Amino acid sequence: MSTDVAITGTDIDDDVHLLSKDLHVWFGERHVLENINLEFPVNSVTALIGPSGCGKSTFIRTLNRMHELIPNAKLAGEVQFKGRNIYDTEVDPIQVRIEIGMVFQKPNPFPTMTIRGNVLSGLRLSNRRTRSEDELVEKSLMAASLWNEVKDRLDAPAGSLSGGQQQRLCIARALALDPDVLLMDEPCSALDPGSTLRIEETVRDISKSMTVVIVTHNMQQAQRVSDQTAFFLAENNNPGFVVEAASTNDIFRNPKDKRTEDYVSGRFG
Amino acid sequence: MGIMTALLGSTVVSLVVRGSKALSFHALFQNTFSISSVTSLDYGGLGHAVLGTLIIVGLAVIFAIPIGIAVGVFLTETNGPFNGSIRFLSQALTGLPSIVSGLFVFSLLYVTGLVPKAAVLGSIALFLLMLPTVIRLSEEVLKLVPQELRFAALALGAPRHKAFFQVIFPAARSGIITTCLLGTARIIGETAPLIVLVSYLPTTNVNPLSEGMATLPTYIVTFLNYSTDFANQRAWGGALTLMILVGVLFALSRYLGRNKI
Repeated sequence: MSTDVAITGTDIDDDVHLLSKDLHVWFGERHVLENINLEFPVNSVTALIGPSGCGKSTFIRTLNRMHELIPNAKLAGEVQFKGRNIYDTEVDPIQVRIEIGMVFQKPNPFPTMTIRGNVLSGLRLSNRRTRSEDELVEKSLMAASLWNEVKDRLDAPAGSLSGGQQQRLCIARALALDPDVLLMDEPCSALDPGSTLRIEETVRDISKSMTVVIVTHNMQQAQRVSDQTAFFLAENNNPGFVVEAASTNDIFRNPKDKRTEDYVSGRFG
Repeated sequence: MGIMTALLGSTVVSLVVRGSKALSFHALFQNTFSISSVTSLDYGGLGHAVLGTLIIVGLAVIFAIPIGIAVGVFLTETNGPFNGSIRFLSQALTGLPSIVSGLFVFSLLYVTGLVPKAAVLGSIALFLLMLPTVIRLSEEVLKLVPQELRFAALALGAPRHKAFFQVIFPAARSGIITTCLLGTARIIGETAPLIVLVSYLPTTNVNPLSEGMATLPTYIVTFLNYSTDFANQRAWGGALTLMILVGVLFALSRYLGRNKI
């Protein structure tokens, strides 16, 4: 049984504290990702782009050990966080998920909790304490750009919010745990353009103090919010792989690989 | 739709019209000690049968609900090698005829001498009838909770048991309450096992470990066996009382099952 160990280690590159190394992923016998080597610089936004089914969402779930919750999921290789492989047996996956937070594609606030209850739910679920719950609720909702819209109705049910507000509430809920990394799996795909822009503003704001990894099908969004971009591809039922990873500017304006150029220019995908 | 409404409506109307003659406030506090088939409805009542039903059904419910829900949770939250078999058995036993349940308990527990003749045997038979329904319905209700909620809780660093008790179970609460109600409704009017296992007593008995206890179904059957008007009206009164009990249970479940924040 793994013990509750904070993720620390040696040999930390100050600019990168999350990376995947020779990562392979399977569902049963089906090999879905091969040889993924990616680095995520600190306090920046990395976008993962690529056609549907190439393994972007599967990959992002390996970064906080959510992948192993899926039946028949298997993995080889390493995900290093603060210099330590998060898949080491001594590492507690629960601690990993506290330090590497996640926001999902479909807004999923807890329906039986209030807005305030949702923000604090991470603390309660992970048995943590805070000196002031009110301060934490305000700080988290402000960071998610939702405070002004809900400050007078914190005891309202979370289900009374619009879709965009619910997704920002989910961001606030994740931020309340003060993670070092926030993983976002297509957070805007179910939202209207107005809500999408609000969330993109939030992503840019939080990336000043946090590493963000965002999966997106929207290439304009990737260009708007991210500092780096990785292009995933899966060809002819083969496992997904990273074709190219570079600064967002280089990927979209000066891609090295023709497949990247074809994808970002809309010739396929 | 109109025909269904008419059919259901006529059942309710018949029950109310025929049963109300035998029901009165005093009838709820009296039994049928020294009441014969020709005794006027001004005397005697069915309080002892109501009490007996509540006791025998209550005992079955007290065990079937927690065990059934626990098995439902086990089937939803785990992926063990026996889950398929448990699921199949519970689905198959949902249709268990009540007389079979009664005879099973009779031969396995009473004839073998394991349990002496006692009203609790009826509770055991009703428990066997209720359990598969509670298991199956709890599993269905828990499966309806979106998987995204589970993942959201786990992604916040929740251990599995906390994710279940603080997120999944509250989200399924109204469904679980409905499950408990439907399970209770499944057994509250069951007659065959009670005829086999629980002797009808005209007096009031609240001890399930003693032989014999009046229940509403056996009260109805007892008085239906007589051909007099008074006896028939008493039987209708019992049927109306049973319907009112079920109605109260359903109303309670709707009140308790509303989603609270």
